[in-house]
Amino acid sequence: MSKKITISVVALLVAVVFAFPTYWMVATALKPSQLLLSSGYDLVPTAVTGRHFADAVAKPNFLTYVRNSLVVTLGAVLCALVAGLLAAVPLARLRFRGRRGFLLLLLVAQMAPFEALLIPMYLMMRDLDLLNRLPSLVLVYFATTLPFTAWTLRGFILGLPADLEEAAMVDGCGRWGAFRRVTLPLLGPGLVATSVFGFITAWNEFLYALVFMQDENRFTLPVWLSSFQSVFGTDWGGTMAASTLFTVPVLIFFLVVQRNLVSGMTAGAVKG
Amino acid sequence: MTATENPPIVTPVPARPAVARRHRRPGVAALPYLLLAPATLTLLVLLGWPVLSVLLTSFRRLDLRELVQGKVVWVGLDNYRAVLGDPTFWTVTLRTLAFTAACVIATVVGGLAVAVLMRHVGRAVRTVLQVSLVLAWAMPFLAATTVFQWMFDQNYGILDKTLVRLGLTSFAGHSWFTTGFSTLAVIVTLITWQGIPFVAFTLFAGMLGVPAEQYEAAAIDGASGWQTFRAVTWPAVRPLVTLVTFLSLLWDFKVFPQVWAMREGGPDGGSTTLAVLQYVKGIAGSHFGVAAAVAVLMILVLVGLTAQNLRLMLRAQEYR
Repeated sequence: MSKKITISVVALLVAVVFAFPTYWMVATALKPSQLLLSSGYDLVPTAVTGRHFADAVAKPNFLTYVRNSLVVTLGAVLCALVAGLLAAVPLARLRFRGRRGFLLLLLVAQMAPFEALLIPMYLMMRDLDLLNRLPSLVLVYFATTLPFTAWTLRGFILGLPADLEEAAMVDGCGRWGAFRRVTLPLLGPGLVATSVFGFITAWNEFLYALVFMQDENRFTLPVWLSSFQSVFGTDWGGTMAASTLFTVPVLIFFLVVQRNLVSGMTAGAVKG
Repeated sequence: MTATENPPIVTPVPARPAVARRHRRPGVAALPYLLLAPATLTLLVLLGWPVLSVLLTSFRRLDLRELVQGKVVWVGLDNYRAVLGDPTFWTVTLRTLAFTAACVIATVVGGLAVAVLMRHVGRAVRTVLQVSLVLAWAMPFLAATTVFQWMFDQNYGILDKTLVRLGLTSFAGHSWFTTGFSTLAVIVTLITWQGIPFVAFTLFAGMLGVPAEQYEAAAIDGASGWQTFRAVTWPAVRPLVTLVTFLSLLWDFKVFPQVWAMREGGPDGGSTTLAVLQYVKGIAGSHFGVAAAVAVLMILVLVGLTAQNLRLMLRAQEYR
């Protein structure tokens, strides 16, 4: 019995370690400035203020950064969903020559080290006159999330019984009608899960955003946050408030897909 | 053995979906290729071409002048000679390998430990643990990096304050970013902290698949906790451990955001990894050819590190 208690205590300590940085971020964001730059030791804020959040939002261009991040992220996710779904259907349902080759392409693409392709991507975007413009990031994030999206959606489609679609076709639906009325609605959770993972990848991306975007009003949130020292000075309250605002959307999405967290991340790697 | 004992079992073999058979008209045969066209085209242009291009660029001299004039100057292996002849490159490569090893080992061992912990605690404690793991997992890299910078801050950071409280007064005003080693240690901590949740959840899911009878049998046989782990848990999760090790290798070797945002590869290049080197040479220094050579070498090292897994994975996945 005492062993059980020891294990529980250890587990709770581990939980504290893992939750602490998130807690500290929010606690710092809520503390008045004079408490932050002091030698005092207060793990729980003794006073609370919303000033830092107001400051962060009021920073020049803040809303522009949010908008930029949303545009590139949603643009990439939408493209990846459409192209990924179109590719997933034949790969899951149809037999045709070269199918295995396409699967292999997806699998390899999924493991491609995009970070090592920075230079050719930069040169390509320069040639296309897309540097310093948001579509360049949409394209790169589209390519990064597409293999995963297609592969995972294929897995979801494989999980749906083909008989359903066939039954609909027997009942007079066309191929497209059967897909739209039967498969697509059942695919809802899969579409949500994959788009959330795509969203998180693109929302997080830093290297390409740092390199491609030169004007300040084209920055995305990660690039802006990385320059916080010039923006905020030693204003840790403002920095933590900005970080909190940047984290919240991801946290919400993580909660949305919590059931699929593991299966989604390993979908391509464990089994088809 | 009589015939009645073993009636022939007729298994319906749905080798091919019936839907595929129905369409033999021309035009429909093109359907799969039409559907695959957007994805294939995207991957060829935005992945295939860059892979080819990075290789070609690594054999060119491409500095700002050539870039602006649009000149193509082939220099053979000059870039590779320059990179491989530079002692900094070797330092950075060894540093990157050590850094990757530290991240991967800490993440996998830590993740395994947390997974075992999850299996042994009650439902309520497990939920608390899982929620806090998700908090760590979900935090965007850049937000996490800024929080770590704040926690490790020299003057007002909570870590130094806590250490002083615990009696380690020498940590008053201690700076964690004066040496490359110490800076990298902070980054390894950060990456491990963010990486453990995924590993822990994956391995925990694997442990749930072990039939309870096996644990009961082990308990009846009087096996100790360690023996049970060795005989029951470990064989069940070993393939998953291989998998998460492979994935962590893939992610940690080329990680850029946390390393760059923490101290931009400093102090004095002391926390520069290969990903940072590529950025510094190529984008900051405008030596695109040299940076391309660094990128190619990076890919080669990565393929070398993961060759075993890549082979196994391709073999397992191909046929389905």
